[in-house]
Amino acid sequence: MSLVAEAFVSQIAAAEPWPENATLYQQLKGEQILLSDNAASLAVQAFLQMCNLPIKVVCRANAEYMSPSGKVPFIHVGNQVVSELGPIVQFVKAKGHSLSDGLDEVQKAEMKAYMELVNNMLLTAELYLQWCDEATVGEITHARYGSPYPWPLNHILAYQKQWEVRRKMKAIGWGKKTLDQVLEDVDQCCQALSQRLGTQPYFFNKQPTELDALVFGHLYTILTTQLTSDELSEKVKNYSNLLAFCRRIEQHYFEDRGKDCTFLLLCIHGNF
Amino acid sequence: MAAPLELSCWGGGWGLPSVHSESLVVMAYAKFSGAPLKVNVIDNTWRGSRGDVPILTTEDNIVSQPAKILNFLRKQKYNADYELSARQGADTLAYIALLEEKLLPAVLHTFWVENDNYFTVTKPWFASRIPFPLSLILPGRMSKGALNRILLTRGEPPLYHLQEVEAQIYRDAKECLNLLSHRLGTSQFFFGDMPSTLDAYVFGFLAPLYKVRFPKVQLQEHLKQLSNLCRFCDDILNSYFRHSLGGKLAPLQLSFICVEYLHILLGLYKQNSLLIEEVCALSLNAGL
Repeated sequence: MSLVAEAFVSQIAAAEPWPENATLYQQLKGEQILLSDNAASLAVQAFLQMCNLPIKVVCRANAEYMSPSGKVPFIHVGNQVVSELGPIVQFVKAKGHSLSDGLDEVQKAEMKAYMELVNNMLLTAELYLQWCDEATVGEITHARYGSPYPWPLNHILAYQKQWEVRRKMKAIGWGKKTLDQVLEDVDQCCQALSQRLGTQPYFFNKQPTELDALVFGHLYTILTTQLTSDELSEKVKNYSNLLAFCRRIEQHYFEDRGKDCTFLLLCIHGNF
Repeated sequence: MAAPLELSCWGGGWGLPSVHSESLVVMAYAKFSGAPLKVNVIDNTWRGSRGDVPILTTEDNIVSQPAKILNFLRKQKYNADYELSARQGADTLAYIALLEEKLLPAVLHTFWVENDNYFTVTKPWFASRIPFPLSLILPGRMSKGALNRILLTRGEPPLYHLQEVEAQIYRDAKECLNLLSHRLGTSQFFFGDMPSTLDAYVFGFLAPLYKVRFPKVQLQEHLKQLSNLCRFCDDILNSYFRHSLGGKLAPLQLSFICVEYLHILLGLYKQNSLLIEEVCALSLNAGL
């Protein structure tokens, strides 16, 4: 969006309060959604819960194509459609709700840096595992990605997406990495997050911020998704304060409010 | 360590030991950690490879990519981070990720994609350091690689358009520079008084942007307004790279090459010595 269009949209956004019928669109929970998209969707849901804004989750097979930027999840609020966590945070801020107002400039810089760390390492590792690791691609990803479509569209779309993701991996230098190197990067990232969190309840002590929502989204999805092997979730389980962090946010923002998160509840038992 | 460590990387100019960000990161880290590095600057002979630069060669290893080279140096006990706490180490990783995600696309765009900058500055500089006929091919390939990287990480599938992302990447880069400036504040380095890995990375990304003279300079103008970041770059250049003449010799070499071609084309052998003297004086002034 150009600068002028963005300024215009945030003016309009600021004018109206948050409606009751705001909806979040993602792919089908049971059969279609993949690890990275689920993590992103959960992060947005967690963020909106932390802001106390009601949101209804709707699953559609073509959510990716409906989204203005091609990425899920996206929210439909009033007559605006905003996708991805970054723009959604700004949109919500224009409406007057913010989690990071209490932070000073240095803390805001740190928060943004850690959010980029999660995007740079965790998200890329998830994409790598889903689309560049042959075992996972064959057994899980292709089948799930193409499940709503008839033959031969399911194969064509899956191969197209795989080609796109592989191009991106090559451009950023991850094309030549082996799975072990990727898992090591995940470990490094989790170690950094664990050290930053320390013994605090949230990353910036008493109050959660969008960083907490993002980290929760990714770590929780990694812990609760069944993949061909457990190596990825094992890396996260090594850090007990991260596990406690996930449990705390889940209890406080999802279970207490009686939200319907069938995907979450199905997988949580036996993992902690 | 007794084994000699050789680094092959792109050379310097405009007062910098190297104009290539990744090479500069490694050179800065080596200075900070005290690693004895022999720097082999890539020139226009056929010696050495040009792909994947910077490359560290020891007796039994060849390591490429800055992150791997830094890891290797740490394992050889050249560690600039041993005084950092665990949390500062975590912050380092986070800020490096911020640099790569928010600042790097705009730096790549300024150097390799923006037509005015690419055709007047970047391409001639790199082409002069690559032997003919590779000099016709390699800079173009590097430019396409940079454009690819920007579009694939920031563009919107399935049709990737540069115009849509240009405004966004420059906005992100300016925000990133502001964040770095806030974080640095008034201290000399990012973590106290001793430079560490993060300082090497920030220096590597910012110094070329700060020093290289471009026609289209919007990001450079923004950086120059952040005086603590400029002071940071100048401090490191003065303290750690003052004695390296790499930056000063390059324009001299370049001018000698120009002079030779002039002679061949115009047959000015009689005025040989006068011309060389004049060009020497000019380039010494420019280098200083």
